[in-house]
Amino acid sequence: MHVPVKLLLRLGWRNLFRHKRRNFMLLLAICVAVAGVVVMNSLIRGFQFDMQESAVANLTGHVKVLAPGYRDDPNIEKSFKLAADWQPDLPDVDVEGWAARVRIPAVIMSERETRGIQFVGIDPSQEDISFLGSVAIDGEFLQDADDDRVLLGKELARQLETRVGRRLVIITQGIDGKNREAGFRISGTFDADGTGLEKMFVFTGKHTLQEMVDADVVTEISVKVSQQASEPVAKRELGSLFSNLDVLDWQELEPQAAAMFVYADSAIFIWFLVMMGALIFGLMNTLITAVMERIREFGMLRAVGMRPGAVVLQVVLESTLIMLAGIIVGLLLGWLLVLWLADGGIDLSQYAEGVELAGMRSVLMPRLLPQDLVLVAGLSLVFGVLAALYPARRAVKIKPLEALRR
Amino acid sequence: MSERVVRCSGISRTYQEESVPVHALRDVDFDVFRGEFVSLAGPSGSGKSTLLNIIGGLDRPDAGEVEVAGIELNDLTESELSDLRLEKMGFVFQAYNLIPVLSARENVEFIMQLQGVDAAERASRAAAVLAELGIDGMADRRPGELSGGQQQRVAVARAIVTRPVLLLADEPSANLDSATTKELLELLRTLNETHGVTIIAATHDPLVMSYARRRIGLRDGRIVEDVGSEAA
Repeated sequence: MHVPVKLLLRLGWRNLFRHKRRNFMLLLAICVAVAGVVVMNSLIRGFQFDMQESAVANLTGHVKVLAPGYRDDPNIEKSFKLAADWQPDLPDVDVEGWAARVRIPAVIMSERETRGIQFVGIDPSQEDISFLGSVAIDGEFLQDADDDRVLLGKELARQLETRVGRRLVIITQGIDGKNREAGFRISGTFDADGTGLEKMFVFTGKHTLQEMVDADVVTEISVKVSQQASEPVAKRELGSLFSNLDVLDWQELEPQAAAMFVYADSAIFIWFLVMMGALIFGLMNTLITAVMERIREFGMLRAVGMRPGAVVLQVVLESTLIMLAGIIVGLLLGWLLVLWLADGGIDLSQYAEGVELAGMRSVLMPRLLPQDLVLVAGLSLVFGVLAALYPARRAVKIKPLEALRR
Repeated sequence: MSERVVRCSGISRTYQEESVPVHALRDVDFDVFRGEFVSLAGPSGSGKSTLLNIIGGLDRPDAGEVEVAGIELNDLTESELSDLRLEKMGFVFQAYNLIPVLSARENVEFIMQLQGVDAAERASRAAAVLAELGIDGMADRRPGELSGGQQQRVAVARAIVTRPVLLLADEPSANLDSATTKELLELLRTLNETHGVTIIAATHDPLVMSYARRRIGLRDGRIVEDVGSEAA
């Protein structure tokens, strides 16, 4: 049996203009739904990657090497030695950066207040991979690993009622288990995105902290890879280099952020299903109306010898054509909206605490992934075909004779 | 005797209308031969349209056998009936039933597209038929831009362009004035006499009956007269 696809396409195309207003409204609904899905996807992706980047930037990296037991009881005894000239020589991974740190709990005291903190000895030249690489600093950043000053968060400085240039006392436990106490001058304060990091971390030179605890050791190595896809390889290769240590990826270190990352993928589908689910009934309703209005025409087509399959194909093609037009315009509209939103992002600072809890930055930047656009276009077309099946069934279920009598 | 195109044997058809059985056809027997122009005549409810639809494979009898061009219709599936209608029959409907979004030429061509005829042959055959029916000047107009008579001519062109074995017309004059009806009937007669197209027209219009060379009269679902039969 010959299937006259060209004829059916011509009929489908011209029928789109048969009821201009109705089809325009339908087209508009499809455009708005598709554009809405595109914008929402880009916001969810923005949220997703923001969360991931924040998780990675919060001194985690993509993969981290820790001494066994450090996660349960983080102290200087759960540390390991690292050769001074050590480099992450990972043959199959493009390493963007790495940092070896000493990170231990401590107490910080100003003249007026006392707080519990994470005291972190760093080599400032390695910290491009963490949030320190992008924060605003009031005062000076640490100069090198021998710097004996401290850098603390703005919020902590406010709580301690101190400021840049003043001195603080920090107490922590040395390698021998005895408390060590030392005075530090404040080199600067950092303004992180949200107050959580500002309250938690105090930084000094790595060698300074090693001297203070009397141990030439580090508690962690963070590695950031250039391509996220190479993260498992990096983990495997670091695992080979440090077989007696714990090598963990960011998902294991930040399980909540990892769970949210997975949830965001599901959220994209759920949002798509909600939007398109609502649309599909509108489309189906319009197609049923169109089919019933033209039932005599379908009856005639059947009477003169068009097979039921060709009638189904015609209804499906009509639905697909209008869906296709809506998808193209909708994607374009969505893309323009995302460009507009990306110009500065969406400021969520007034919800700062909630946003911080979700592990996000205060400005949400939409992200448009090509695969999401393909997914939206592909699934929308599938929905268009599915929406056409019931009206098409109505078109072929009625007998040609009955249709001609209407 | 010429080749038999239609054989109806013992055809009966009963409808249920609000649970009341309506006997549209009762034990109808007749044959139609190649080149005949037959009118199925009778008043409303006599069963002429039902009989025409059964011959066209658009309806199935409750009892009896129908054969068109040597093919027994009762044995065919819906898809096979579609193919038979496409390849062997042409239809002229009371309401023209042209596709409004296609031009006159495209309306004539589309049946050939269903048959898979290539574009060049389609164009040439459509042009020839439109010219023969005197509507070649309106080939690019859509049905909405044509008068009733012109639309019916396009419908006839669509029905005969595939050179069917059998042309079935259901009340072809119902929506036409008498002058246009005469033009249409002249056209059908020419097709019948010069091209040997076998025509069966269901009608209650005496003018249509007068153009047909054979008249099968129906009343209450039975054949009450058969005038001008070749077999007779």
